[in-house]
Amino acid sequence: MAQSVPSTPRQTASGGSRLRKLAYSQSVAPWLFVLPFILSFALFFAWPVLSALNMSFQEVLPGQTRYIGLENYRDLWNPTFRKALMNSTEYTVYTLLVLIPLPLVLAVFLNSKLMAWRNFFRSTLFVPALVSVVVAGTVFRLAFGELEGALMNSIITAFGFEPQKWLRQEGLAMFTLVLLATWRWMGVNVLYFLAGLQNIPRELYESAEIDGANTWNKFTRITLPLLKPITIYVLTISIYGGYAMFTESYMLWAGNRSPNDIGLTIVGYLYRNGLEQANLGLGSAVGIVLLIITFTVTMIQLRLTGMFRRED
Amino acid sequence: MKRHSILLLTLLLVLSLAAAACSRGGKSGGSSDGGDATTLEFWTFNELHDQFYQHMAELWNEKNPDRKVAIKGVVYPYDDMHNKLLVALQSGEGVPDLADVEVNKFPNFLKGTPQLVPLNDIVEPELDNVVKSRFDIYAKDGKYYGIDFHVGATVIYYNKEILDQAGVNPDDIKTWDDYAEAGKKVLEATGKPMTTVELTDIISVWPQVMQAPGLDELQTADGRLNLTSDIVVRPIQYQKKLLDQGIAILTPGGNHHAEEFYGFMNSGGAASIWMPMWYMGRFTDYMPDLKGKMIIKPMPAWNAGEPRSAGMGGTGTVVTTYSKHQDLAKAFLAFAKLSYEGNIEIWRFLGFDPVRSDVWNDPALREPNKFTDYFGDDIFDTLLEVKDEIEGVVINERTPLVTDAFRTTVMVRTLQDGEDPLKVLQEVQAQLQ
Amino acid sequence: MSAGNVLERRLASVGLVVLFVLLGVFAVSPIVTLIVASFKPAQEIMRYGLNLRLDPELLSLKNYAFLFSGKSLYLTWYGNSLLITAIFTVLCLFFSSMVGYAFAVYRFRFRNVLFALVLVTMMIPLEIIILPLYKLMISLKLINNIWGVILPFVVAPLPVFFFRQYAGGLPKDYLDAGRVDGCTEFGIFFRIMVPLMAPAFSSMLILQSLFSWNNFLWPLIVLKTNEQFTIPIGLATLLTPYGNNYDMLISGAVLAIIPIMIVFLFFQRYFIEGMTAGGVKG
Repeated sequence: MAQSVPSTPRQTASGGSRLRKLAYSQSVAPWLFVLPFILSFALFFAWPVLSALNMSFQEVLPGQTRYIGLENYRDLWNPTFRKALMNSTEYTVYTLLVLIPLPLVLAVFLNSKLMAWRNFFRSTLFVPALVSVVVAGTVFRLAFGELEGALMNSIITAFGFEPQKWLRQEGLAMFTLVLLATWRWMGVNVLYFLAGLQNIPRELYESAEIDGANTWNKFTRITLPLLKPITIYVLTISIYGGYAMFTESYMLWAGNRSPNDIGLTIVGYLYRNGLEQANLGLGSAVGIVLLIITFTVTMIQLRLTGMFRRED
Repeated sequence: MKRHSILLLTLLLVLSLAAAACSRGGKSGGSSDGGDATTLEFWTFNELHDQFYQHMAELWNEKNPDRKVAIKGVVYPYDDMHNKLLVALQSGEGVPDLADVEVNKFPNFLKGTPQLVPLNDIVEPELDNVVKSRFDIYAKDGKYYGIDFHVGATVIYYNKEILDQAGVNPDDIKTWDDYAEAGKKVLEATGKPMTTVELTDIISVWPQVMQAPGLDELQTADGRLNLTSDIVVRPIQYQKKLLDQGIAILTPGGNHHAEEFYGFMNSGGAASIWMPMWYMGRFTDYMPDLKGKMIIKPMPAWNAGEPRSAGMGGTGTVVTTYSKHQDLAKAFLAFAKLSYEGNIEIWRFLGFDPVRSDVWNDPALREPNKFTDYFGDDIFDTLLEVKDEIEGVVINERTPLVTDAFRTTVMVRTLQDGEDPLKVLQEVQAQLQ
Repeated sequence: MSAGNVLERRLASVGLVVLFVLLGVFAVSPIVTLIVASFKPAQEIMRYGLNLRLDPELLSLKNYAFLFSGKSLYLTWYGNSLLITAIFTVLCLFFSSMVGYAFAVYRFRFRNVLFALVLVTMMIPLEIIILPLYKLMISLKLINNIWGVILPFVVAPLPVFFFRQYAGGLPKDYLDAGRVDGCTEFGIFFRIMVPLMAPAFSSMLILQSLFSWNNFLWPLIVLKTNEQFTIPIGLATLLTPYGNNYDMLISGAVLAIIPIMIVFLFFQRYFIEGMTAGGVKG
C-alpha cells in the first residue's frame, strides 16, 4: 500500500502515460480481462471441437479413416439411441423439478434467523458431494438390491410393502437415479443459493416488514427476484448436467448394461457405441447431437428468462 | 488487499516450481532390473497380471542374460484401459509395446487395419500342444494377434452339502435332462433352487449355446447371425422351464459377479452354478464359508457324447505395431504365456487353467495352493476329462453387438418379462442386421 | 411482540431443526455405512451386505494400516491429487473470476457472442474431444504431467458463468466510486470487487477443488504411469472384472473425503451475509 495513487488520471506525468491510460481505459480493460478465456478457448477447445465435428462425418478406423457424410447421424436414429434420449430427457426433467425448488427453499431456511446450528446442517447436506461417484454408486447399488435384506427393501417392508426389484424395472430405476442425484447434488445447489442469498441486504427485508409484508410476500417479492441470476445459473447447469449424466448410471448398474436399457443415457450410448466399439466417428456424432440439444434448450431457457435482454 | 495478492502470487510461484520439480522425477511403474535391460511398456487392467509379468521377466532375465527385459507395467481401470488404448492407437502416439486386451473388447482392435503384430511365428509351432480354439478367437484373416492366459473352460460347481442332503450323486448327471431331474429332487428335499441363471450377463446361456456340436454358435462359423437357430432357442427355453418349476431362480443382483450374489451363494442359497474355471477365485475370495463344500465337475451335455465344455472369457496379450522392440516383445511373450514353464507359472501364480493341455498332467498342478485347499487337489482331473470337448466362440466385429444385445435385452425379455424366446431373437437379429 | 408470535417462532425453529435432522440423516447415512464398513474386512460385506453392525471382534484398523504401509501406491495417489487440486483451484479461481466479472460489468462488442461461446464450452462433452486434445497435449509435451491435467480447464466455463451472475448482482456504485478515487480497472477488480465477491469465491473454491479432486476421465488420458495417478483413477483400478478389492476401495474412499471436507469447513465461513450493505453510504 506504499505506492500512492494520483487522485485523477489527468494529473499523471506524460512519461508512461499511454500505458497508464490503458490501465484506466474502460474500453480496453474488458478485453484484457477476457483474454484468458479467448486464449484458452482458441487453444484447447476450438480446434478439438472442430476436429470432433470433422470426425462425426467420418468412419474412423486405424489406417482406413474415410468420409461417410451424414451416415453416422442416420445410424443414430435407432431404438436404442431414442431410448437413451428419452431416459436423459426424463431424468433432466425430474432433477429440475426436484433439485431447484427444494435446495432454494432449504437455502432460505438455512439463511434465516430462526435456524440453529446452520453451519452444521449445511455441512451435512454437502457431504454427499464429497464422496467419489464410484463408491457412492456402489453403495446405492447395494442399498437398492433386490433381496429382502437390502437396505431399501428392509425399510419398505417395515411399512408393509413388498420388496421391489429397484434396478430392474423402468419406473423404479428412474426413481433410484433421481434419488441418487438428489442425495448427491442437493447440498451443492443449496450452496449456490446460499451464496446468492448473501447478496441480499437485510435492510430490504426489514423495511418490507415495516411496510407490513409477511413471510410469503418477502419470499416472493424480494428473495425470488433477487435470486434470479443464481437461479438461472443453477437451471442452466442442471439442464446440461441432466442431459450429460453418465457416471451415476454407470455405477448403479456396475457397467453400462442395464436390463432393457432402462438406465441408458446419451453419454452412456456414446461410451458404448462410440468408445467401447471403437467407432469414434459415431461417438463424435452423438456428442455433437448432445451439444446441439443442450445448447438449444439452454438458449431458449436463457431467452425466456431474459439473460440477453439489453436492460443494463 | 495488495499484500494478499502478492502473497498469493508468491504461493503460486512456489507451488509451480515444486510441481515442476516433482513431475520431472516421475519414475516408471513396476520395473524389474535396470541397467542394460530393454524397457518394454505394458498396459493391463489387473494388477495380478502385472505382477505375473514381472515374475516372468525375472525368470527370462536369468535365462537370457544377453537380452534382458525390464517390464514397465501400468495398471489402468478395466474399461478405461481399453478406451485409452484405442485413443493411443488411433493417434499413433504414446502406444505401449504390450497390452492386455480382454476378449470382449478384442474385436474392436481388429477393426480396420489392426495395429497389432501378427504372432504366427511363435504360435504355430505350439498349436498341437494348446487348445486351439483359444487362439482362433484372437485371429483375423489367418493371423494370430493375441495370446491368452487361460482356457476358461466352463465347468459346474456343485455344493456337495446340498446335494448330499437331497441324495443326489453329481456323477450321475450326464445330460441337461438329468440335471433337471436332479434339480427337482433337490428342490423337494431342501427347498433350494438347483441353480441361478444370469439375467444381465451371458455366461449362463452362452456355454449352453456353444455346447452344440460343430462350430456354429450365436453366429455361424463364417460369421453370419445365427440367433434364430434352434441351438440358441433351446437353452433359453430350458432355462425358462427351470425357472417356472422353481428349480432355477434369477441370479440375485443380475449376474454372478454381483455382490448380492456372493452373499446369497455363500449362505448356501443354491446347489450349483456353471461358470468358467477362472471363477474359482471368486469362491475363494468372496464365499469363504463354502470352503471344502464345493466340487468341480464337467457340465452336463445336451445329449450323451456331445461336448461338455466351452471356453469363456479371456484376455489376449498383444504386441503393438508401434513398439520399437517387436521381436524381443514377441519372444518374451512366447516365453511367458506359451512355453511349458510359463503355463505352469500361470497356474501357480494366477490360478488359471493354462492353454497348454500337455501341462495339465504335470504334478505341479496338484501342489497345495489356495484353490486346492478350497476345492480339493483333483481340479485338473475334471479339465482332463473334457480336454477334447472344449468348444470355442466365434469372435468377430459383430460379437460385442451380439453380446450387448443379450446382456441388455434378450435375457431380460425372455426370462424376466416372459416373452417368447424365438420372437425376441427374431427381433434382435433383425435389428442387428 | 405478542406471546403468540413468540410461540410461532419457537415452533418454526423446532420444525426447521427436525426437518434438517431428517435431511441430515438421509444425506449422511450412506457415508456412515461406508465408514463403518471400512473398519471391517471386505468378506463381511460379501456375507451380509453393507450394514451398520458394529461387531467389536470384526472392527480393526487393518484396512487403513494397509493404506499407509507403502505396499500400495495410495499415498502417492493422495499426494498427486493434493498437488493437482491445489494448483488447479488457485489458477482456476484467478482466471475465471476475471473473465466472469468482465462479462457482468462491462459493455463491449461481441460480449454476448463471447458469452455464448463460454456456454458452448460448458456443453461440449469431454468424451468427443479426448482424441484431438490428447494429440494436442502430446505435441505440447504435456503428457504424463500435471500441467497437462490442469491447463485445458483453468478457464472453466462454470465458474466464469457463476462469477458473471454474481458480479451482475453487485451494485454498480462501487465501480464509480473506485474510478473517482483513481483506481485502475484492475485495481477496482482486485481491491473492491473481489472482497465483495467473497461468498462467490468461497463457493467456487469449494466446488472447483471438489471437481478437481474427483476428476477422472481427463487425468486418466493424460497420466501414464501408476505413480502419477490421482486417487479416483487409483481407486478405479481396484474394480477389475476378476474381482474388486473392497478392503482398499472403501477405506481409500473414506480417507479421500477428508481433504475436501477440510476445505469446505474452512471456507464456508466466508459466507458472510450482507456484505454489500453499508458499503456505499456515507
